[in-house]
Formats: sequence, C-alpha cells, structure tokens
Amino acid sequence: MDKLIFGRYIPGTSWIHRLDPRAKLLATMFFIIIIFLANNWQTYLLLLLFTLLAVKLTDIKFSFFINGVKPMIWLILFTVVLQVLFTSGGETYFQWGPIMVTSQGLLNGVFIFCRFVLIIFMSTLLTLTTMPLSLTDAIEYLLRPLTKLKVPVYEIALMLSIALRFVPTLMDETEKIMNAQRARGVDFGEGNIFQQMKAIVPLLIPLFVSSFNRAEELATAMEARGYQGGEGRTKYRQLHWQTSDTIVMLTFAVLTGALIFLRN
Amino acid sequence: MKTKYLVTNAIVAALYVAVTVVVAPISYGAVQFRLSEVFNHLAVFNKKYIIGIGTGVFVANLFSPLGWYDIVFGLAHSLISLIAMTLLTRHVKNEWIKMAVNISMFVFFSFIIAWELKLAFDAPFWLNYGFVALGELVVMGIGMPIMKYVNDKVHFTQYMEGK
Repeated sequence: MDKLIFGRYIPGTSWIHRLDPRAKLLATMFFIIIIFLANNWQTYLLLLLFTLLAVKLTDIKFSFFINGVKPMIWLILFTVVLQVLFTSGGETYFQWGPIMVTSQGLLNGVFIFCRFVLIIFMSTLLTLTTMPLSLTDAIEYLLRPLTKLKVPVYEIALMLSIALRFVPTLMDETEKIMNAQRARGVDFGEGNIFQQMKAIVPLLIPLFVSSFNRAEELATAMEARGYQGGEGRTKYRQLHWQTSDTIVMLTFAVLTGALIFLRN
Repeated sequence: MKTKYLVTNAIVAALYVAVTVVVAPISYGAVQFRLSEVFNHLAVFNKKYIIGIGTGVFVANLFSPLGWYDIVFGLAHSLISLIAMTLLTRHVKNEWIKMAVNISMFVFFSFIIAWELKLAFDAPFWLNYGFVALGELVVMGIGMPIMKYVNDKVHFTQYMEGK
C-alpha cells in the first residue's frame, strides 16, 4: 500500500506550488505533446535541462521523482532493450541473426529512455505540487466550454471531488475488511490467481454494501442541505490567474519555438 | 433521483481506485493483473454504472506515472469497451452472455493501450496487446462468477435505481 501513496501531494510554498492549477495542468498536458517534437540530442538535452530546472523549482527531494519511475522500470527497460537490439542503421557493433547492436539502435534506446523519464517527471511534478481537489477545480474550469454542448461538466467535477474525497476513506475501509476477514482465516495474495481472486469475494460483498450505504446517506444529506445541481453554485476555493502563470505559458511557447528550431 | 445516481457513481469510482491501490500494487505497466478490472462487470448489471467506472479509471490514472497519457488512452479503452458491450447486448437478458461480451470487448479494445505505448515509446505493439489482453481476460474471466455471486447478494441494480 505504501508503494503507491494515493494523491502524492506534498505541501509546500515553492514557486511551482503557488502556480494556478490551470496553468500547471495546461503546461503538463502541453509538455506531453511537444515532447514528440524532440528527435535529436540537442532537443532532448534542452527538454532534460528544462525538466530538471522545473524539478529544482519545486523544492521537493529528487528521490520523490525517482520513485515515480520505479513502478514503470520493467516496461521502460524492456522497451529500451528491444529498441537497442532490433534497430538497424549507423555503425554495427554486434550482430547475431536478427539481433544487432548498432549506433542508431543505442541512440534510439537513449532517446526512448529520456522520453519515458521526462514524461514521468512532469506528471509526477504535477501531482506532487497540486492538491487533488485543486486539480478537479482546474479540470472543471477547462471543461466549462463543453457545457454549451450539454456536457454535464458541473456534475462530472462534483463526482470527481466526491470520488477523491472518499478514496482514502474507502482505502481504510478496504484494509479494515481485509484484516477482519484475515482474522477469520481468509488468505489474500496467496496461492494461484484463481485462489487469489476467490479470496476477494468476502472482501467485495461487505465493501459494496457499506459503500452503497455511505452513498445513500451522502445523497440524502446533500438533498437535505438543498443541493439542486451545479447551476448557480458558488465556490469556496477561487482560482486566481497571476503573472507567474502567464510567464509559465510564455516559457512553454518559447520552448516549443526552440524545439522546432533545433529538431532535424 | 439524480443526486443519488451521481453520488453512487462517485462512490463506485472511489471504490475502484481504493481497490486498485490497496489490493493490487502492480497495476501500471505492461502486464496488468488489476483486480479492480472486475468492476467493469458492474455495467452488465446496470448500464448507469458506466460513468462511475469511467470516473474511477480517470482518478486512478490521474496518479499514474504516465499521467495524461494513461488518462486519455485508459479512459478511451474502458468507455469504448463498455459502450460497445451495452450496444451489442441491448436485447440480451442473460447476464453470463453479457459478461462474456464485456470481456471480449475489453480484450479486443486492449489494442488502444498497446497503441498508446507504440505511439509514445515505439514499444512492440503485438507483445503489449498480448500482455494487456491477457490481463483483462484472466481477471475479468475469473471475475465473472465472482461478480455474479456478489450481485446476487448485493443487487447492484436496486442501489442504482433506488427501488
């Protein structure tokens, strides 16, 4: 459970922490798009330096970012190794049947590795420096134009907020029920996959029942307090777009320009 | 009762995330035995659960290392599969058949995830397709009798419709 701490937000007052969640959300989404512009060592180096600077600005220990890479490490290594072994072109250092190590292959391997790490660092940066609820606010704001297309944006945002609010509660509940069932002799995570799956029946039934009861109580409480849908609701947390947010957007525009200039 | 529909789906989403985090720590990556995939069968019992499952996938992926990539493609995979299942089984009453169709849709549309990895990292498409599809097939397959049994005890439709 400690491996994937839910909502990895780390409180802080760094420059990145204080940015508007909308700016951070837009910037990280945009970063994932412009990373595809990089196709030589100059562009990857630029993106690497840019990301490291951003990481530095968060005032968060580097190990937290490394932890983001860990769950993906097998997929990354696997992809990189295949890339190295099956790419032709450039100087050939080693060949055995279809397997070969070429200079082009090694270069591609390094690029793919960089791409993985850069995307993971940026995504981690967003979740480390932004409260989950601020993220929902930002998502709601950015989706707002869709209300014209009859998309229930307020309802989606409310569902996201409620879900985020209840994840830790239900995680506790899941743990509690698992421990209660363990005390009755259920083995979780032991035996083959069939046995492991079978063990979740005595977990799922009480979990669903208690969650649905919780939902029912919450719905009643909301209606008793006069909830009537998103229209005209006011907000406790207000978002403020500041100069620093505009600076971030401009920086990304410059970065995009530089990438287009430097790429092959 | 619209509030109830909204709140129930939100709680289902939270439950999906909680089970993803607590029960199966190896959830992201090429080979996924995500125990929470059994939740996909909820849509078989009542299609109103689709929005809750979608929200759950969204929130779970919000904290995945690949961030937006996983959100866009993961959400597309789940929603397209669930909607396809609903459309294909409009006139089917038998829940076993509906669950089997659900599994086929999730297995088939796993190519969306393989395509995501191919597109972003030039990862081998067929191999990842195989991994993801296998994960879905195994978990949702064993999940069939489990969810059927849980439904007999919990009655998912009743909660959603408020009867």
